[in-house]
Amino acid sequence: MSESLDALERRIAELRAEVRRALRVRENSLARSLRGELRRAEQAWDTAITAEEPAPPPSGPGTSLLPIREQAHQALALLGVPTAAKLIVAVNDALFSRTLRGSQLTSLRRDEERSFRSAPYARPYYLCAALTDRLSPARGLLADSTWAPERRVLGPLSPRVDFLTSTMRIAEHLTRLADPPPGALRLLSRMAQNIPGAVEGLVPADPATAIRAARAELEVHRATDAEQRAEVAERMGSRLPDVERLFGAAALSTLRGAC
Amino acid sequence: MNRLDELRGPVPACPHDARAIAALAANPGCARRALMDAAGVDKDRTARHLGFPAPFGRSQFAIARGNVFEALVKENGCAELLRLLRELLGLPVAQVGYQDVESVGSHLRHSHTRALIDRAARAGEGTAVFYDHPLLSLKIAGHTSYLEPDVVAFQLGERFHIVEIKSFAVIDGQAEPGKVSAAARQAAVYVLALRALLADLGHDPGRVSHEVLLVCPENFANRPVVTPVDVRRQLAVLKRQLARMTRVDHLLEGLPEGLTFDLAPDGDGVPTRPAGELAEALYRVPARYAPDCLSTCDMCVFCRDEAREAGSTDLLGRQVRDQLGGVSGMAEALGIAEGTLEAAEGQEEIARLLRTADRLREECLR
Repeated sequence: MSESLDALERRIAELRAEVRRALRVRENSLARSLRGELRRAEQAWDTAITAEEPAPPPSGPGTSLLPIREQAHQALALLGVPTAAKLIVAVNDALFSRTLRGSQLTSLRRDEERSFRSAPYARPYYLCAALTDRLSPARGLLADSTWAPERRVLGPLSPRVDFLTSTMRIAEHLTRLADPPPGALRLLSRMAQNIPGAVEGLVPADPATAIRAARAELEVHRATDAEQRAEVAERMGSRLPDVERLFGAAALSTLRGAC
Repeated sequence: MNRLDELRGPVPACPHDARAIAALAANPGCARRALMDAAGVDKDRTARHLGFPAPFGRSQFAIARGNVFEALVKENGCAELLRLLRELLGLPVAQVGYQDVESVGSHLRHSHTRALIDRAARAGEGTAVFYDHPLLSLKIAGHTSYLEPDVVAFQLGERFHIVEIKSFAVIDGQAEPGKVSAAARQAAVYVLALRALLADLGHDPGRVSHEVLLVCPENFANRPVVTPVDVRRQLAVLKRQLARMTRVDHLLEGLPEGLTFDLAPDGDGVPTRPAGELAEALYRVPARYAPDCLSTCDMCVFCRDEAREAGSTDLLGRQVRDQLGGVSGMAEALGIAEGTLEAAEGQEEIARLLRTADRLREECLR
């Protein structure tokens, strides 16, 4: 392509010189036809130079055909605990289709609740809320309706336990991959920073070490947390109707059972 | 309290937030500010109406950055904060409880906070470490103001600590002193409110630590770092200032009859009172302007203008003003320095200093 451009440029220069020569000897009709040729050459050059532009790069592994709720569910299935939208997006970005944005998840829970209310149990799973010890929906957390009630409720220790569990799950997933993507390692390192003994300084975390450290801390909290969660789950099962069991009780009705 | 309502005019009192209460402590000697706050006058609108709008406001960018940093520190059950407290203050590994007070509706948040704090103070062991966004209240001049600290941390030596998350950077262990002291004053308000809550619940208010934990980004990254800040001084100033507000009768005594800062808003809330008349009313109450006011008080530009008109030495900052103790104004100070005025009795020392300064200046300029 560039050779033809060079040839065109040479041709344009020659034509310009000829136009000047024709004007000097006052051959107006020749000059006019030469100008027409020059214009055509310049147009050909314009088309050649724009054709040289590289084609836009093929869009990466981005575009996912899965609907948003399927993508969120994929991340939740990997983590296995109630998770904040921000972490779902980060996991999706690091390990799956990388097309999810935080703003897409904001109305998800409400949409799922509406769907459940109009046709209960019509879908195989619902993305629902995690319930606090007051049986109200926890702010910003998404859970899977097929999980056992104990996994979907929160005691005071649960945010930490869930954080440790999700770090372990991500690390386990990485050990299964032959060539873990760098984004996923970065995510794991960032999470492992906050677990004692999981990573030294600011170097990338080693999945096996991270799992060991997270498990060690998890041992400290597990029993108490399980006890507190069982108590809340029991209360949830006995007091709430189906829809509230999944999406949380409205604030006022929980007042009676509060604290 | 009727006199205060009269000062404010027929509008509801302006509620105080932690920043406003903290700003009180920044300039305890200012009678104008004390009076306007006690009466709940909307200072921002007053200043605007007078034609002296305050040069500050909160930038959208600053708010967004602050929110992002706060979310980062608090994500995953305060995981970052937990690491900091474990590393720096030796929090035991078993202590990880987290209560999101915001997960109840806003109308229940205050009572929920009370219940949680009561339970924590009673049980001691085995309660949550972090209380995210509790809602405290503080009575100020007869009005209840609601305050929302970022996090209250418990279990550090069986005491409550206020955690304040700020998005200004700590670079090489140093942060901007002005911002740190503003954060300390704001945190002191929370300490006071939490102490009041504990006292109200029948616990020892001393269990709220006077050390607040300031969490800021470290150097040029977004990695948080925690610094304990002692707020005993700020607490003392704040207490004195709040006590003054309750004893505001003392300030009211000297005021002329019928004085009011009423903006006389019309149906649409547009002030109709002539600005000159309002300014006259404000001049009746002495202000104590200092350059620091420019970053804390809505009325700052108005007071600075007044101080300029009067040639007051307040403009030069507190230190210089205190040194120029016996001198009444700029004109007199310049007169003494240039030797056109004779130093009066008791002014000999400052006169000698001023003349030396003047001589040095002359020599420099020559």
